[in-house]
Amino acid sequence: MSANEQERSTRAELILAIETSCDDTCAAVLEGPRILSNVISSQAAAHAQFGGVVPEVASRHHLELAAPVVEAALVEAKTTLDRIEAVAVTVGPGLIGALLVGVSTAKAIAAPRRLPLIPVDHLQGHVAANFLEPEALEPPFLCLIASGGHTLLAGVREHGGYELLGQTLDDAAGEAFDKVARMLGLGYPGGPALEKLARDGDPDAFEMPVAMRHDPGLDFSFSGLKTALVYLCRDLGREQVTGRRADLAASFQAAAVGQLVAKLERALKAGEWEAVALGGGVAANGPLRAAVAALCERRDVQLKLAPLALCTDNAAMIGSAARFVEPLPYPDYLAYDAFATPKRAAA
Amino acid sequence: MLYEKQLGLAADGSPRHSTALLAEVERAAAACGGWDQVAQIAVGRGPGSFVGIRIGLATARGLAASTGLPVTGVCTLDALGRAITEKATSSAVPSPRNEEQGHSGSLAVLDARRGEVFAALYSPSGERPWEPFVASPEALVERLSALPRPRLTAGSGAVRFRHELAGRDVEIPDDDDPIHLVAARHVCALAEADVGGAGVALEPIYLRPPDAQRWRERDDSKRSN
Ligand SMILES: [Zn+2]
Repeated sequence: MSANEQERSTRAELILAIETSCDDTCAAVLEGPRILSNVISSQAAAHAQFGGVVPEVASRHHLELAAPVVEAALVEAKTTLDRIEAVAVTVGPGLIGALLVGVSTAKAIAAPRRLPLIPVDHLQGHVAANFLEPEALEPPFLCLIASGGHTLLAGVREHGGYELLGQTLDDAAGEAFDKVARMLGLGYPGGPALEKLARDGDPDAFEMPVAMRHDPGLDFSFSGLKTALVYLCRDLGREQVTGRRADLAASFQAAAVGQLVAKLERALKAGEWEAVALGGGVAANGPLRAAVAALCERRDVQLKLAPLALCTDNAAMIGSAARFVEPLPYPDYLAYDAFATPKRAAA
Repeated sequence: MLYEKQLGLAADGSPRHSTALLAEVERAAAACGGWDQVAQIAVGRGPGSFVGIRIGLATARGLAASTGLPVTGVCTLDALGRAITEKATSSAVPSPRNEEQGHSGSLAVLDARRGEVFAALYSPSGERPWEPFVASPEALVERLSALPRPRLTAGSGAVRFRHELAGRDVEIPDDDDPIHLVAARHVCALAEADVGGAGVALEPIYLRPPDAQRWRERDDSKRSN
């Protein structure tokens, strides 16, 4: 950590962080890199009936849950707002209506107390999950983030930012898992169910497109894989699909994991990285973890696997990222707005 | 009243809730002499735009958590209805007020987009014979035809659907009359009257389910047929 970063990171010791960018309502209290509380209220059950995250449904739940979740985070941390020195909040990218609930809540908590507000980029949050104690990982490292909302490779050389090395050109990896799971008649969220089903299947049963694996860049694509599954299911017919669900799940999973690991390996070769970290909900996938572990062992690089609660969306990672972001003093943030799409992609 | 401000849309036509609301709230608190001098927070909880309702309620709940102040939610149509009743009973506008015939009250109509309105009816004594509802202007006219007396009607929906509502014994003030705008002072007045009462509810009043739910219910009913 450079002297400059050291100074910056010690500015606010006790941070309240709020995250509402997708379908989990989250609040956390951090003391430096130490988590005092990390409360996550999942809405998965509310979205299951729709087979995916419905933005308006998510926004409604965030409004109901935001204040109680913040209260719970303070109680669990055995602290009160009187001791909080800064409020951090995810300002994007994500579902705009969902983000606005968190941003409005955070601003309104900070303003009357004249606390600084720290706006945090959600993806930077996933990267910063690795800076949390215990066993904090220090830059430089390569971070693969794969979830229902994003799939990217981040080159992390400092605490305050990352280089976007590659990202999905269409569906996110987790999104593809969910869609294929639905095709195979599994519930939502489909990732864990698909993984379980795939254990009984043959990953080589069906040939899957591997286009992106031979693409020289570091970008991902999962829509071709999903489309291949659609055609395969159509050709097989309903009866065959039902009979060979496990094979279909295993073949799809092997292809998706294969692509993620192939890109990670290419990035490792190109960048002389000595450590790898995984983030996002797809980091829970067993075959992905195993394949990445094997790759890291083969290439003799360190592998950091954060606890799953810090891989999926949470507010502790937002508080962690906030430690390296310039806080906005009161009243500079009163007009601060959320943004839906990644700022770096738009630039 | 120590402070009042009403902001319209931004230059690009988008609402300014997220960027302007909290700054105005802070100015209002400063006009009182700071948050220490404030005794209660009042907030409109809809109906209206889903996003707007949520920014208002999230802000009010956040302020309450931060300051420890009580917060009272008020139905936005009630606030508008109160303003209309005030106008109807003031001498400035005598026409809809006819004590002999018993003026049948105030009709608050908000533009609900998608060609619909949010509406509620208030009696002169402040009762609410029609609970807030969402309907097409045609359905509103249908309901109106069952009522015998003329009534003063206002709100963004009354302006938008002036033609549809015309000739139904409703009197709608000119488009530029401030009565058509929901004012925060009416939200405050209703909240103040409700101190310690049952009206501390802070749930949003959406009046419409999310679209996804409507589609799913439609699909379900198709399937069961
Ligand atoms: Zn995420």
